[in-house]
Amino acid sequence: MKRTFVALALIAAAAMAFGQGTIKIGATWPLADITGKQGSMAAQQAVDEINKAGGVLGRQLELIVIDDELKADKGAAAIEKLVTVDNVDLIIGGMSSGVALGQVPAMKKYGKVVVATGAASSTVEAALGADADWYFHLHPWDYNQGASYAQGWDEIQKKYPNVKIKKIFLAYEEGAFGKASFDQTKILFGAEGRYQIDGAPFKSAALGGGDYGSVLEAAKMYKPDLFLWAGYDADALPMLEQAKAMKFSPGIYLGAPPGWPVGFGTSRLSENVMLYGMWAPSINEVSPVSKKFYDGFVAKYKAEPATYFAPLSYSAVYIVADAIKRAGSTDTAALIKALKETKYESPLGQTVTFTPAKIIKNQGIKNQKILQWQRGRQEVIWPFESATAKPVYPFPKW
Amino acid sequence: MKRNTLYLAAAAAAVLAAALPAFLGAYPLNVARSVMTYMALAVSWDMLLRSGQISFGIAGLFGLGSYASALLVLRAGMDPAMSLVFATLFTGALAFTIGFAVLRLRAMYFSITTLALAEIFRIVLHNLHDFSGGPEGVVLPGVIFGGDTRALYWLCLGGLAITLGVSWYFEKSKLHLALTAIRNDETSARSSGVDIFRYLLIAFTITSTLQGMMGAIQVQSYGFTTPETAFDANFTLLPLAMALLGGIHSTLGPMAGAVLLGIASEWLKLKIPYGHLVVYGIIIVLVILLMPRGLVGLARKRRTGRGA
Repeated sequence: MKRTFVALALIAAAAMAFGQGTIKIGATWPLADITGKQGSMAAQQAVDEINKAGGVLGRQLELIVIDDELKADKGAAAIEKLVTVDNVDLIIGGMSSGVALGQVPAMKKYGKVVVATGAASSTVEAALGADADWYFHLHPWDYNQGASYAQGWDEIQKKYPNVKIKKIFLAYEEGAFGKASFDQTKILFGAEGRYQIDGAPFKSAALGGGDYGSVLEAAKMYKPDLFLWAGYDADALPMLEQAKAMKFSPGIYLGAPPGWPVGFGTSRLSENVMLYGMWAPSINEVSPVSKKFYDGFVAKYKAEPATYFAPLSYSAVYIVADAIKRAGSTDTAALIKALKETKYESPLGQTVTFTPAKIIKNQGIKNQKILQWQRGRQEVIWPFESATAKPVYPFPKW
Repeated sequence: MKRNTLYLAAAAAAVLAAALPAFLGAYPLNVARSVMTYMALAVSWDMLLRSGQISFGIAGLFGLGSYASALLVLRAGMDPAMSLVFATLFTGALAFTIGFAVLRLRAMYFSITTLALAEIFRIVLHNLHDFSGGPEGVVLPGVIFGGDTRALYWLCLGGLAITLGVSWYFEKSKLHLALTAIRNDETSARSSGVDIFRYLLIAFTITSTLQGMMGAIQVQSYGFTTPETAFDANFTLLPLAMALLGGIHSTLGPMAGAVLLGIASEWLKLKIPYGHLVVYGIIIVLVILLMPRGLVGLARKRRTGRGA
């Protein structure tokens, strides 16, 4: 009788453990884009690493990724599926602000914990509102980025007196991303007349454009000390080629796409081009976490991470896994409380914590980095504590 | 008897479609909304095609309806449900006015002009920063019906039902004879007393109104819009592909194409997360190459073949 009872108890315990199953992490990214493709790959890498180390709370993690196709309606449908069909415990991911805007109503409806890796436009923050305490935003907002760059250039000019910037020209893709970048640049760099700002839009090659003649001509006439373009990876090489053809050589040639084309560094045109970003392989030299991420990614996928969305998405998985462990469950309220106390040393070369932004309560990273392509590598120029090289200035004449 | 059977089947399908929220969850209803939106656009595009005019202006009129509805709510403080009506009427009125100019054109000149419409509307809204929100678009205070999944489904179904009803009327009324005559031979139609411009203007205005209505429904269902979202080329290209796949010059053909491509798109995405768009594109190209008359045309051919 006693033996039967023990056996039944063991079976019941096993059934309960089995019933608990995996901890499901739902994710949406644009999988046809390098940011979403590598972001989802890096998230899977993190899931595999955590599972190999025993999982979380004795349970394995399961990542369910749906392609948002860079479309708002598809992104919203993906959230509906993840929550109502796949019954995920929480959601991570995202890249485009337009898709995030489409997803916000569904996210609000379900109130699941979201750790967002994308959406820089502050329009998304306005749509979320102050009550969205379940929303944890890892990527900096547009105004965070602008403030960070302004601080970065001030500090670089102070440390390297030969770098002199007064006139800035911004070539921006005509969509929401580019326009928001221009608006923030005008506000943050133009304040107190410190810098003179001008700019013009262009149609990105990613959206059917690719002719930068007029915008580069306008920039050349303005004679900027710093030329900045805000567009997509597809614009990087054609714009440089056209700038070379026009012999346009500003003091600083700087790009701010969310990701760079694979192999951009192998082009001779890339030499000394500066960029805004959150991560580069060179950070491996100053961050063991970055090196662990990088080596793992290369070993698993036989390719180098080409966008900061890879370490950012990798970080998102580790952050939620750590929060679940501290919360002791996937209960939303407990998870929110644990996430608020996050202190994660990320492969991005900085420790991630969540603090209030202008509207939302949980903002992760607030600053970006200023980098430069040197001998085919992205070197960190600023912040100085994670710098891997000195800036090459001015941008050499063609 | 045959006609009665058809009406019974249509009524049964309508009841089933209306009852779907009782059986389906939020995700399938969301996918169904997407399929219905594209279906309405494909059918409305086909309605004008029955006159021989190939319009590439679907995205333009869809986007115009979206923005009209969103701005009526934001700038005029209109109730979201009322904005659907007024945005639809606004798109119709504008299409009526534009029709006077563009319907003087024929063949590729007409097509190119309608294609330009979407780009013109997009650029205008891009540059009216203070009014339209510029490239960053506008966010509504909330989604219509509080975002209730079932209500949103029925709203979209209502838009589709209106479109199908109008298309059915196009097929059964004397409008059908006039449009077919224009498509077959404009000179003969004119010599037979068909007022070509009048009929084309009616068809262009009505189909544009329907496209604007679906745009208004779309924006109220998602609570935001941007020029890139509202005037996305997919709102022109996918309905065309759906109509071609299903079979043109009928109501049933674009409907069948929309169901097949809409579901195939979602299914492929879940089965082949990386690269499903390539497979989807190949399927569209192959089907159009191998079945130029579409599924309905193929079915008719088989039936005729069997009968002979």
